[in-house]
Amino acid sequence: MALLNRDDWYDIARDVDWTLSYVDAQQAFPPAWTGVGEIPAAAWDDWDETYRVSYRDYVRVQREKEAGAHAVREALKRANLFSKLDPGHIASSQLHMGTTCMVEQMAITMQSRFCRFAPSPRWRSLGVFGMLDEIRHAQLDLIFSHDLLKHDERFDWCNKAFHTNEWGVLAVKNFFDDWMLNANCVEAAMATSLVVEHGFTNIQFVALAADAMEAGDVDFSNLLSSIQTDEARHAQLGFPTLEVMMKHDPKRAQQIFDVAFWRSFRLFQTLTGTSMDYYTPVKQRKMSFKEFMLEWVVHHHERTMKDYGLAKPWYWETFLKCLDHGHHAMHIGTWFWRPTLFWKPNAGVSAEERRWLNQKYPGWEDSWGVLWDEIIANVNKGDMAKTYPETLPALCNITQLPLGSHWDRHHIQPYTSEYKGRLYNFDSEVSKWIFDIEPERYAGHTNVVDRFLLGMIQPMNLEGGLLWMGITPEVMGDDAYAYRWAADYAPAAKLAA
Amino acid sequence: MALFPIYGLFKGDFVPHLVAVDTDDAVGQVAEKVAVHSVGRRLPARPGVPYRVSVGERTVPNDATLGEVIAQTGLKPLQWVVVDYAT
Repeated sequence: MALLNRDDWYDIARDVDWTLSYVDAQQAFPPAWTGVGEIPAAAWDDWDETYRVSYRDYVRVQREKEAGAHAVREALKRANLFSKLDPGHIASSQLHMGTTCMVEQMAITMQSRFCRFAPSPRWRSLGVFGMLDEIRHAQLDLIFSHDLLKHDERFDWCNKAFHTNEWGVLAVKNFFDDWMLNANCVEAAMATSLVVEHGFTNIQFVALAADAMEAGDVDFSNLLSSIQTDEARHAQLGFPTLEVMMKHDPKRAQQIFDVAFWRSFRLFQTLTGTSMDYYTPVKQRKMSFKEFMLEWVVHHHERTMKDYGLAKPWYWETFLKCLDHGHHAMHIGTWFWRPTLFWKPNAGVSAEERRWLNQKYPGWEDSWGVLWDEIIANVNKGDMAKTYPETLPALCNITQLPLGSHWDRHHIQPYTSEYKGRLYNFDSEVSKWIFDIEPERYAGHTNVVDRFLLGMIQPMNLEGGLLWMGITPEVMGDDAYAYRWAADYAPAAKLAA
Repeated sequence: MALFPIYGLFKGDFVPHLVAVDTDDAVGQVAEKVAVHSVGRRLPARPGVPYRVSVGERTVPNDATLGEVIAQTGLKPLQWVVVDYAT
């Protein structure tokens, strides 16, 4: 019997829906979960995606991808590649695994919500594929990390990280709890599919896979490439959602976009900016984080905004300043508070790396180099106690990242709001704006400083903090190169130079 | 006498810190407690140069107590206190 061509039946199958009679539409599709607001039900008939994949096609293609990814994995397990990798690259890999795997797991729940509550049957249909994608991604991260456990138990944090109170993980979790797990379909599709996946991670996975290949980590590159092909497809469901929103509720569309862009950028900058500009061995760097952002992410977002009629976020100038500085702030901060990490960061300020930083970021020396000089002097004096923190950094009540970390030391200033008698602090005027437009949404979120002051961290010192974060001596962060880079600045080295 | 958490920034550093101070502390002591997290760690020390403390736009005298500063300025828990070299 001849099968119909896919295009002969695809639209009918995808549009299958029910005319509800036993329950009210509001009960079956509660507005709190759909997020449709005042948009009429008929408006969602325009929701359309371009990927046009059938379940049969999906299973066939995914099976091939899985077979390919695992064939490479099995071959590389025997090649002992890990022992040849640069410590800086290993830090990038562990940071990625620890902060990404459980986000993939959370995305399964988000996509499942699309399957059940999205306001269009087409969207619900695509949500099935998205859900299956995310299951695959979480499982791939886990199995690839499991393979590496025998080399380094830090890969255990692929599974463990989101079950701890590690501060960086809490910041990531806070954003995704807010915009992925607790958000309605419309908010989640715009914030996660459109901004995070299409705007940031889809492109990041391509770049990270290329960097991993350059660093000789074929296994990690293979994993990322396999995942990226799925991301490129299911991220598409953000566009038709945006299109409907721009027709019927453009103000809300703009607000969701602006909030999600800032919050996901700050996390992306923290995770990817540090990896690209400090952890990746300098000889393997193809472009700086800022160059990468301007060429791929900024250009992409500008095109998206123009195509769909969105305005640039009101804070665009601040965003561009942040591109020059924010990840340098997050890097010196994470390195200085390195005992609180589950990976070993590369300081990335050897003489050669410093030349590269000054070339890529002309203001780097004045903003950041002088701070590193004091650290380097302490390392070379052997006064290591002065290279460690004795308290917590002040943290933002939105991003949960350190105050001041969006710019540099010359521009640091307080941004605060008072709500129901409490003072809230923010890393920037953008985070303050996010809080001020929906204070009830954020007022109950507690960052690490809040939890410390609530007495949740005992004893109330660094030791208690590490215990609370789940950091054990086996995984505690320390300098990736055992401080060998500081020798470039030792008095003998200076004389020789 | 009561513990009072502030966000202390030493001018020139890139981040303020959570600093536990006491309402009986003199402002000069508060300055020392803020400075210890930055000076000699990421900023060079300037031996012999006194510190100056500001709350908002106001410079507060080193011999006042924090309790007095709270009464005069309305300083709240986790509000910024900025410390700088006086000269």
